[in-house]
Amino acid sequence: MRRLLRAAQRAGRGLFARADSAFNALYTWRYNPLYHSGALVVACFLILTVTGLYLLLFYRIGAPYDSVARITDQAFAGRWIRTLHRYVSDLAVVAIVVHAFRMFVQDRAWGPRALAWVSGVVLTLVFFVCGWTGYVMVWDVQAQLLAAEGARLFDFLPIFDEPISRAFVGDRPMPSAFFFMNLFAHIAIPVGIALILWIHVSRLARANVMPPRPLLWGTVALFTLVSLAWPATMAQEADLLRLPTDVPFDVFYSFPWPITRALPAGVAWLGLGGLFAIALSVPLLTRPGPADGRAPSWVNPRFCTGCEQCYHDCPYEAIGMVRRDDGREGFVALVDPSKCVSCGICAGSCAPMGVGPPGRTGRDQLAEVRAFIDLAQPSAESVVLVACRHSAGGRRRSDHATPVFPVPCVGALHTSVIEYLVRAGAAGVVVVACPSRDCWNREGVTWFLERAYNQREAELQERVDRRRLHVAYVAESESAKLEDEIAGFRASLEALGGGSAEATIDIVALCDVPEVSVTEVEA
Amino acid sequence: MTRARMLLAGALALALALAVAWLSQAPTTYARDDDALLRLSWRVEGLRVEECRPRTAEELEALAPHMRTPEVCVGGGADYELLVELDGAAVVHDTIRAGGARGDRPIYVYRDIDLSPGRYALRVAFGALLPEGFAVDGARLTHAFDGQVDVAPTEVVLIALDPTTAELVRVGQ
Repeated sequence: MRRLLRAAQRAGRGLFARADSAFNALYTWRYNPLYHSGALVVACFLILTVTGLYLLLFYRIGAPYDSVARITDQAFAGRWIRTLHRYVSDLAVVAIVVHAFRMFVQDRAWGPRALAWVSGVVLTLVFFVCGWTGYVMVWDVQAQLLAAEGARLFDFLPIFDEPISRAFVGDRPMPSAFFFMNLFAHIAIPVGIALILWIHVSRLARANVMPPRPLLWGTVALFTLVSLAWPATMAQEADLLRLPTDVPFDVFYSFPWPITRALPAGVAWLGLGGLFAIALSVPLLTRPGPADGRAPSWVNPRFCTGCEQCYHDCPYEAIGMVRRDDGREGFVALVDPSKCVSCGICAGSCAPMGVGPPGRTGRDQLAEVRAFIDLAQPSAESVVLVACRHSAGGRRRSDHATPVFPVPCVGALHTSVIEYLVRAGAAGVVVVACPSRDCWNREGVTWFLERAYNQREAELQERVDRRRLHVAYVAESESAKLEDEIAGFRASLEALGGGSAEATIDIVALCDVPEVSVTEVEA
Repeated sequence: MTRARMLLAGALALALALAVAWLSQAPTTYARDDDALLRLSWRVEGLRVEECRPRTAEELEALAPHMRTPEVCVGGGADYELLVELDGAAVVHDTIRAGGARGDRPIYVYRDIDLSPGRYALRVAFGALLPEGFAVDGARLTHAFDGQVDVAPTEVVLIALDPTTAELVRVGQ
């Protein structure tokens, strides 16, 4: 199973790389909906709440079909609001699938992120249940089929004394109590959704729960327009003494039923339960082994000055500050390994280079870049690519004119690496980052930019000429765009002339670390 | 962003939204004109087939106070036989057991049988299977429907128990 999932992840990554590239070209990476799928689900949920409240004013449990028909007859409001409610609920399913699949292929389901994954799977199920109750509310032919199939499946379970299928045989009118319970579920479930959503993002610092405004309002406007132009119609009313013939079928919500209907109820439950179990066990099945080098970060208390920057920058709230017990005043950072995903962003945030995953701290990066310079020997015309391995730069071949220094994430990159490269004589440095909303570590790109250009702690030193630094946001399959960016940067460097190598490069960790120097630690 | 690219971006967004709208109400055919259904649905309180005797004083003494029921019964609910014939051919012939660990729960019958539209001689018989020599006073042992049914295309012919006559009847006729 693990091997199968890994193969699915690889295939999915290729699929997303191509789709991202196409959508970036049309919508730019800032508004690429594929990068905002999770936030789009929340936006859909809010739209559904608002439109649902309006529909609730007119819905009658004593005459469900007639009341929905009356809403549909309201040419100026009810018709398009009901349609918008329906189409946006479908869009939510699309966004959920994209979001879940993206997290899966980016291997972001295991370890501390398992809570988000598992709550996401539960959210998806609850969202579907809410959708099914919504369709039953209309009590048209699709509702009839949904109710009958749901009852058949539940009758297999030893829960109810009397088969609930007998409620849908047509020997008596459907009681209002049924529609009341259904309406209650349709209203109560979203409250549960809000609660699970809170759990879903509870381990994220500064969770992005809303898409950028142009994308949000563009989506609302687009679906309102489609709702006005192509309103949902009323299907035939449910008639339990007649088999429905023409059924308008909502593929997004009703897709399981033609499959389950063809199966015995026990087999259908086995299939549905099996899928749910596999989805829930993805964190276990994709968990990396100990040899994968994803050990949690650690803090060297000797170097830690208690500046709190790693505590602020950690995207998963995995770092806390505790009082020192080594005789020095103040606080020291402490990593909670149960929350750390080993993203390494703390390594980039620490000016004295005292925190990070083993082998990836700022000091490790400096040692690595020294070895890189010795090996690559960049000339005064060389442009060094410091490339996130998930971006197009991660796939680019290294050559003398543009040697590639790969990093796991630009957010984990210590700015002293860039300083070292420039002072070692490279003409320029291109930091190749993923589009910021697609950062696999959530805030890596954001923090890098702040450190490089806005003096965020662990900042790029002022002595580094910013004209020799360029940041390219390129998704994995945007190789052509990367080449364009490199060429453009090279052209801009011509005015500056080639780089000049310094004989001795002393990188200073700015924070005041008592009795410690970088040289000492590296030794 | 060039004008052409903006147009393309808008067109793609619109196409995706229209795809969502279409898939939201994709026209499908569930039943055809040559489909119909015979549905059996009823509930009966099953007959009790058990022998009871009073507990002796010693037995009562041996039980905890809250368990001292005056009688001890052996047995349970009667099994029922369900027979459905269409034009003289049996399409269902089953034995139905009462639910519950002691077989003392009501019996529910719920069956769907696919049919083609047309006229049928339908016979449905539902009767208790009693052990030989077991006497029942005044209880209804069998419920039956016997008659011609005309089945229209896509019609669901529902046979249910009339609570007043305790006969199986066709509902909606």
